This record gives sequence, C-alpha cells and structure tokens, in this order.
Amino acid sequence: MNTSLSPANAILLVGHPNVGKSVLFHRLTGAYVNVSNYPGTTVEVTRANTRFDHAAVLLDTPGVLALPSRSDDERATMTALLHENSRCLVQVGDAKNLRRTLTLTALLAELGVPMVLALNMHDEAAARGVTVDVAALSEELGIPVLATVATGGEGIGELTGSLVNARKPQALLRYDADFEKEIAAMAAAINRLAPHPKLAARGLAILFLGGDSAVADWLKEMAVENYPELETLCQAAGQRTDGDLPTLLARERTEAADALAASVIQRAVRSSPLLSQRLGQYVVHPVWGVPILLAVLYVVYQFVGVFGATVLVGLLEKDLFQDILNPAFTNLVNAVISLPWLSELLVGQYGLWTMGMTYALALILPIVTTFFFAFGVLEDSGYLPRLTVIANRLFSLIGLNGRAVLPMVLGLGCVTMATLTTRILHSPRERMITIFLLALAIPCSAQLGVVLGMLGGVSFTAVLVWALAMLAILLLSGFLASKLLPGRRIPLVTELPPMRLPILGNVLKKTGGRLKWYLLEVIPLFLLGTFIMYSLDKSGALPAIIEAGEPLVSGWLGLPKEASAAFVMGFLRRDFGATGLFAMAHSLSPIQAVVGMITLTLFIPCFASLMMMIKEQGAKVALGMVAVIVPFAFFVGGLFNLLLHAVW
Amino acid sequence: MSPKHEARLPLAFITPGTEVRLAALGDEIDPLQREQLTAYGLAENRPLRVLQQKPMTVILADEVELALEHAVARHIWVEIETPPG
Repeated sequence: MNTSLSPANAILLVGHPNVGKSVLFHRLTGAYVNVSNYPGTTVEVTRANTRFDHAAVLLDTPGVLALPSRSDDERATMTALLHENSRCLVQVGDAKNLRRTLTLTALLAELGVPMVLALNMHDEAAARGVTVDVAALSEELGIPVLATVATGGEGIGELTGSLVNARKPQALLRYDADFEKEIAAMAAAINRLAPHPKLAARGLAILFLGGDSAVADWLKEMAVENYPELETLCQAAGQRTDGDLPTLLARERTEAADALAASVIQRAVRSSPLLSQRLGQYVVHPVWGVPILLAVLYVVYQFVGVFGATVLVGLLEKDLFQDILNPAFTNLVNAVISLPWLSELLVGQYGLWTMGMTYALALILPIVTTFFFAFGVLEDSGYLPRLTVIANRLFSLIGLNGRAVLPMVLGLGCVTMATLTTRILHSPRERMITIFLLALAIPCSAQLGVVLGMLGGVSFTAVLVWALAMLAILLLSGFLASKLLPGRRIPLVTELPPMRLPILGNVLKKTGGRLKWYLLEVIPLFLLGTFIMYSLDKSGALPAIIEAGEPLVSGWLGLPKEASAAFVMGFLRRDFGATGLFAMAHSLSPIQAVVGMITLTLFIPCFASLMMMIKEQGAKVALGMVAVIVPFAFFVGGLFNLLLHAVW
Repeated sequence: MSPKHEARLPLAFITPGTEVRLAALGDEIDPLQREQLTAYGLAENRPLRVLQQKPMTVILADEVELALEHAVARHIWVEIETPPG
C-alpha cells in the first residue's frame, strides 16, 4: 500500500474556474502559466517554488465548478488534494459571487487542512455595488480572509503574510441529523480501513457519499480488499435516503453558504447596468451578435492575414532574409567550408539555414506573433465564452454544444494545446468528436497564417473559397461523426465572465510566453524536417517519391509534381508542408493554390498533436483517426480540383 | 405556494427584463446538469433577472451571467417577482 506523500510545504490554490488562480500563481511564483478570461484555461496542475518562501511549493489547480468532483479537471484538483502533503489551501474566490465561493468553502472546510480565503476581483464587486465585510467573514470562518485584485497586484503582500496564520476553518454547517449519522459511520469506516495521513475522514466521507470518483479511486487503492465494505456502506446510505443523497448534501451546503453570505454582504442599488455588462449583452444579442462576430473576424484577418502574413513577411522574408542574410550567410559558408555536402546541408535547396530557419523565422514567426497577439486580446476581453452562445446552434448540428467552440478557437492557435483543452467538455463522446475535428479541419496559427498569406496573395475569393470549404467539411464530418458515435448531445449551460478591457502588458506577456514555446517546439522540428528532406534528396528517395506521387498529386489534385515534397514535409508538421507550398506559390495557379491548401489543411496535424491525441484518446483511436484523415484529405482535395475547374 | 404569485412558469418563457425567483429545477434535467446548475448558485428562492431569451436564455444570478439552452431553461420553474419595466 502506498501511503507516502510528496514532501511537505505544498500550498494549493483551489477555487472555481475563472476566479484568477493562475494570475495569483504568477504573482506568487513568477512562473508563467497561461491566463485567460474564460473558464477552463488550466486543465492540469502546475507547480513552482514561491517567491516569498523558497521551501514552499505552490500548486495551481484546475478550476472546480463544484466538489465532489465530476469532470476531468475537477478530478485533477481532487487528486492533488489527496496526494499532496499540503501545508495549507488558498481558496481563491470571486468577491462578487460570495455565495458560490462559500459553497465550495463549506466542503473544503471539512477536509481539516489550514486555509486562507482570497476574495479576488473585489474591484469588480465594488463596481457592481457589492461590499463584503471581510473581517466578519474571517471571524465566522476562523481563517484569514483577504480582499485581492490579482491582475493589479492588490492585496498580494497581505495574502503571503497571512499564510503563516492559516487555520483549520470552522465548519459552515451541521447536516441534517440523518445525514450526520451516515457521515459519521462512513468517517469511522474510513478511519479504520483507509485513514488519510492529512485529510480529515469526515471530509472524505462527505465527498465519497457525494459520489466523488477521485476519492473513490483513492479509497479503493488504500483499502484494497476492504473497499467493498466502504462501497456497501455508501450504497446503503443512498438507499436509506429519501431522494438523491449527493444532491441533498449539496443543497444543504448551498443553504449554509447562502445564509453566511447574506450576513456579510451589502449591496448598493444600481440604477443602470455597467458599460461592460451592456457590451457583453450586445455581443450575444440575437441581432447584433453575428455582425459583431463578422467585424471581429475581419479585424483579425486584417491584422494577421494582411499585416502579419503580407507586410511583415515581406519585410522579413524578402528584404531581410532573401536580400541580406541568406546571401551573406551563403558567402560565409562557402568561404569557410570546403566540403560541398556540408555547405549544401547548410545553405542549399534543402539547407538548414536557407530552408529550415528561413521558414521558421521569416515566414512563420511574424504570422504567429500577430496571431498570438490578436488571440490574447480576444481571450482577455471575455469575448470567447460569448462565442459559445453564438455558436451553440451551429454546433448543435454536429451533436455538440457551443462549449466545443473554445477548443476549436484555441486550435487556431495550437491544435496540440486545444486537444488537451477538450477536457472542459463534459462527455467522452463530445471530446472524441471535437478531437477528430481539430485534427481534421482546424489549422493551427502557423498554418492559418501561411494559408492567409498565400491565398490572400491570390485573391480574397480564394481565401473565402478555402474558408467556406473548411467550414462545410467541419460541419459535414461532425454531423457524420455525431451520427456514428453513440450517446446524446448535452445542452449548453455556461457562465459568461465579465467583458474586460485587456491590459496591454498582460497580452504582451502572454504573446511572449507563447512565442517562446513556439520557437522551442518549432525550430527543432523544422530543422529535423529540413534534414530529412535533404537526406531524401541526396539518397535519391525524394525524386522517387515525387515520381511515385505524381498520379495522386498531379493527376488527382492537379498540382505540379514537385508539390509531393510539400506533402512529405506535411507528415512532420502541416504548417511545414504548407510553407513548402507557400514557397512555390509563384508557380501555382489560383485553383492549384486553393486545392493545395485545402488538402494540406485537412492533412494529419503535427507530430506533437498526434502524441497529444494518443495521450487523450489512446493509440487505437488516435491512429484510427489518422487512418481516416489522410485518405480523406486527398479525396476532398481531388473533389475540389474537379469542382473548381468546373465553376471557376 | 407563494403568497404573491401562484403560477410557476418555465424560465424559457419569461420576458427579458423580468425579475423572477427560482421555484424548482424540473426532474427532466439531467442529474449532472442539475448539479452544475446548483453549483452555479441556482437554488430554490434565488432571485434571478432574465436578460435575454434569444439565441439562448441569459440570466443574471447575483452578479454572475449564465447562458442556458432553452432545452434546460424550459425545465427551470420560476415565479415572477417584478415584471419588466
């Protein structure tokens, strides 16, 4: 039996989604984690040493809508609570929604771990006329309670100072007498069969009776052959209860939280809604919502597709690399290296510098920089969760709800991260369909930029044809997948966080963090890809592949036979392949450009995405998806070749 | 039974701008989704303000905006506190 825990001194940040845990984590550790104004940004536990105490480790846990845990991210948080040797918990709550915060406190308080409560975003609460009597709340709970504004750094010093005063909270409620008997019996059994070295048996009993699967797994592991006794006790408690026991327990916690919140909150009467609230309502308005969406897409297109992919790429690729850096570097290499194969490896047609670094730095970097910036602005504004409302009807056609738009939009940044983010979806069926569609029809930022840059150079019609084709394929494939996969669609219920003016510094920090990740991931892969292309070329395999691919690439897709090389490159990363086509754009007709980009967009995603698909869905399902996607990409590309020749 | 209003109406039928009080979550709502609603703070007697009904029902519960599909909102029973005005 494994009862060992990680070393002491773990401080866990716990709270509802989108209450500012990750911003607080960054403030307290200096470590960067992705932060956004929508729920579900953090799907895994992140840890780092704190600035204020080098012996302490701070853990940023995924937001929990409620405990007992149900979803994957809630299970991840509960697992951290079970397995970390916590010095204390810092519950981060939304000051303007104290009732909900205290509902979670009511359960965390039963775990018997010292706690501090950070009431974050108290500036937003004040703007809405909500004032919390922090001192009274602290007295009622018996723990330090601090008002903070994590984004502005307000209250952070007080928070770190209060950690030494963390206390085990007083219970917020005594449950109904019958429930208390069940809880006491279960707690005694847990103490006897699977005592937790840190967490109180009473808290574990409430969670287990409430149906927490992470606690059940832990008890199973600890009690081993005695687990059936605990399970039988749980089932018997459920049968003795008139109604659903987990629901009734949750209701009592909610009532206790309501009562306490009402006693410490004061509300000023406001005559009119805030500007941010009015703006938020316009964005999901039945009439104005779609025009606003189209305007947002147009601005993003102008910034990424025109400014990034045309102006900046022109400056970097032609003016800097082609005219200055590449000739200079080629002359230098030829002057100092006498081995022809080595100089060709560095500055030849498939040279590490002339192809690998030029693609990564001159073609892709300006595009992803502008995309990440635009995406960061949208994330921090609170616009993305409102997209779920606008997209809900469309997504209902493919058996999903509007929540799936979040991983899809994130996929426009990076399909790998988006695949991980599908954990915010509630059912395995929704996750499988969304991961399939991400792999099939959602281009990542690098590829999107290349597509916009290449097709934007052809005409706006070419961009439109490509975009409509992708949308149609996405909907059709999703529709078929939803019909083939058993299970039912879950209606959308979602929180709409406040619209906020993005802070430039935060957006730049986030853009910088993503660019660092991009450069670390992409440059080695681009160099590896270039080396593979060089090796294939030198060994004579590339010409053979190009010849072998001619019937498919030239005959069916109508592309020059040299485009086969782009598809070989596409096996490593779709955007690497797309960049290969971009580089030969001058020799392609408009139809060839559109067909090539449609085929490569549908092609298998990058190696990192494939690994993530295997991690999330298992090798069998992931490879099955690839086996469908590759022939489908060529099939659809050929169909568009025939169709566009007939009508364009 | 409420002393002021006897009728319990589905949330999906309420005109935007109306203040309502939550009466009950219908049995038709999936248990997991019911837990989700409770976690968002939708408990009995909770005052709510209906902000819009299209394309989805959007309500303000305390200071939190929630969007609910009509398939869910039509099984949430409310009593009218203040008509729109």
